[in-house]
Amino acid sequence: MNPILSVEGVTAGYGRVTVLHDISLEAGRFGNVGLFGPNGHGKTTLLRAVSGLLQPKSGRIVFDGQDIAGRSARAIVGAGLIHVPQGNRLFPDLSIADCMALGAYSPRARPHEAENREKVIKLFPKLAERWRQRVRTLSGGERQMVSIGTALMSHPRLLILDEPTLGLAPKIKDELCASVMDISRGGVPLIVVEQDIEFLLELTQQLYLVNHGAVATEIKPGESLDHGEIMSMYFGH
Amino acid sequence: MSALAEILFGGLFQGSLYAMMAVGLALVWTTIGVFNFSHGVFMMLGAYIAWQLVELGLPAAVAFPIAVVVMAGVGWILQASVVRPLIGRPNIVLVVVITTLAAGSLIENGALTIWGPRSKQIPALIAGNATIGGVGVSLHQIAIIVITPLILAALWMFLNRTRLGLALRAVAQNEDASHLVGLNVTALYGLAFAIAASLAGLAGIFMGGYRFMSPVMGSDPLLKALIVVVFGGISSISGPIFAAYLIGFFEAACSYYFGLYWTPALLFGVLILTLMVRPEGIFASRSRGLA
Ligand SMILES: Nc1ncnc2c1ncn2[C@@H]1O[C@H](COP(=O)(O)OP(=O)(O)OP(=O)(O)O)[C@@H](O)[C@H]1O
Ligand SMILES: [Mg+2]
Repeated sequence: MNPILSVEGVTAGYGRVTVLHDISLEAGRFGNVGLFGPNGHGKTTLLRAVSGLLQPKSGRIVFDGQDIAGRSARAIVGAGLIHVPQGNRLFPDLSIADCMALGAYSPRARPHEAENREKVIKLFPKLAERWRQRVRTLSGGERQMVSIGTALMSHPRLLILDEPTLGLAPKIKDELCASVMDISRGGVPLIVVEQDIEFLLELTQQLYLVNHGAVATEIKPGESLDHGEIMSMYFGH
Repeated sequence: MSALAEILFGGLFQGSLYAMMAVGLALVWTTIGVFNFSHGVFMMLGAYIAWQLVELGLPAAVAFPIAVVVMAGVGWILQASVVRPLIGRPNIVLVVVITTLAAGSLIENGALTIWGPRSKQIPALIAGNATIGGVGVSLHQIAIIVITPLILAALWMFLNRTRLGLALRAVAQNEDASHLVGLNVTALYGLAFAIAASLAGLAGIFMGGYRFMSPVMGSDPLLKALIVVVFGGISSISGPIFAAYLIGFFEAACSYYFGLYWTPALLFGVLILTLMVRPEGIFASRSRGLA
């Protein structure tokens, strides 16, 4: 199977600071992809470059056969690559209903709006109870549900989640992990950044350790590692 | 009875003009996070374009809408030329104050060159006068009092009941998240400026119908609009609308009881007190967003 996304030698950063150094990876060849690594080493920056929030300085980002590097975020959303950013900051004064309507804003997603709304409500029944409530008044877990729900409204062909369980209490976190598994079973390929390695091992088939803005280690299917080995990679040798 | 009528009428009339101006400033602030100091010049330009079209022989009913549409284009162009290139700069608020001031003074001098310093007047919306509650008023002012709430209500409906309005409110709250749902953020910025400039142009047409116009006619209304948005809270458009009418009534009452001379001082006194008690404005929530 061809990769749905391949990042080829991307260099990117903020101003004069380079964060990503010639990074390359592939997603969708074996299933879901997990990214992990120490804080501040460029995982979020990579996702921002992929979704067009950040213009890479060089390199190619090929989504579904097309080079999307440097294209507008809107064009990339229009192609079906949907990114749920870290920290679920969202639209604080909009209601859940408004967020869902925005998720379906792109012409590609509009015809599927009703069907996707059903899916989101089935996945997160809690949201339906609070449909008209402002996002700022929701709990952290609920806000994360709105973030993911909004992304599903965009009819993703590839869904990128940046630390979806960050800062959530264990019970809510387990529920959210189960929902993400559901999304994957529904046929949407995922790229997930997570600190929780257990969750990544369960959810994904291929792992990348991102260190100093480059891929330090790639773990392919079959090369299953145990938790201890990954931890030692995390903290260096 | 006639005192009450006079204050009521004066307040409604001034409040309408202030609301028309302030709402555009607030719209631009909430969506883009910048203050547009050429807003007063938009008002002037709208009035002069309307005057020019009437001079060319167009009936007011045609000339005024054309002027408002042209102003939308002017707003869009100004945004694209002196605001959009600066977006993303850390000190954007200050830089845009300067670029919009500069653009405004350029347009003001352009107007002076083209149309000259001689005062001009455009036709009233409705000619004639009436006496209501013992107070003599012009039908033009009555028309403004009636039309303004309708336009503001239409703007509110647009922002709150349409998908495009929803997109504008979204950009106001989170730019990155707006990009990630596929909104055309630059176009929405342009739209915010276009709407603001149209409203300012319309306010100019309103004003040019009862007062003489000059190339600097927009500077006082700009100052008043700034006071209104600071007073009402710059984080929404309903706050400034309420504040505009409140200040309108306040001014009308002050000038009735204390005279026109004392009104600005009293107004600033109230403003300073308000800001000491509620720095975010009286009607504001503590966040940025259109509602
Ligand atoms: N907007 C920005 N401007 C300047 N530097 C930034 C910006 N965002 C991130 N950085 C820097 O880029 C580097 C990589 O940050 P990034 O957010 O990509 O890391 P991360 O791997 O996602 O970390 P975490 O696990 O904490 O989310 C950090 O040194 C960070 O300080
Ligand atoms: Mg991150």
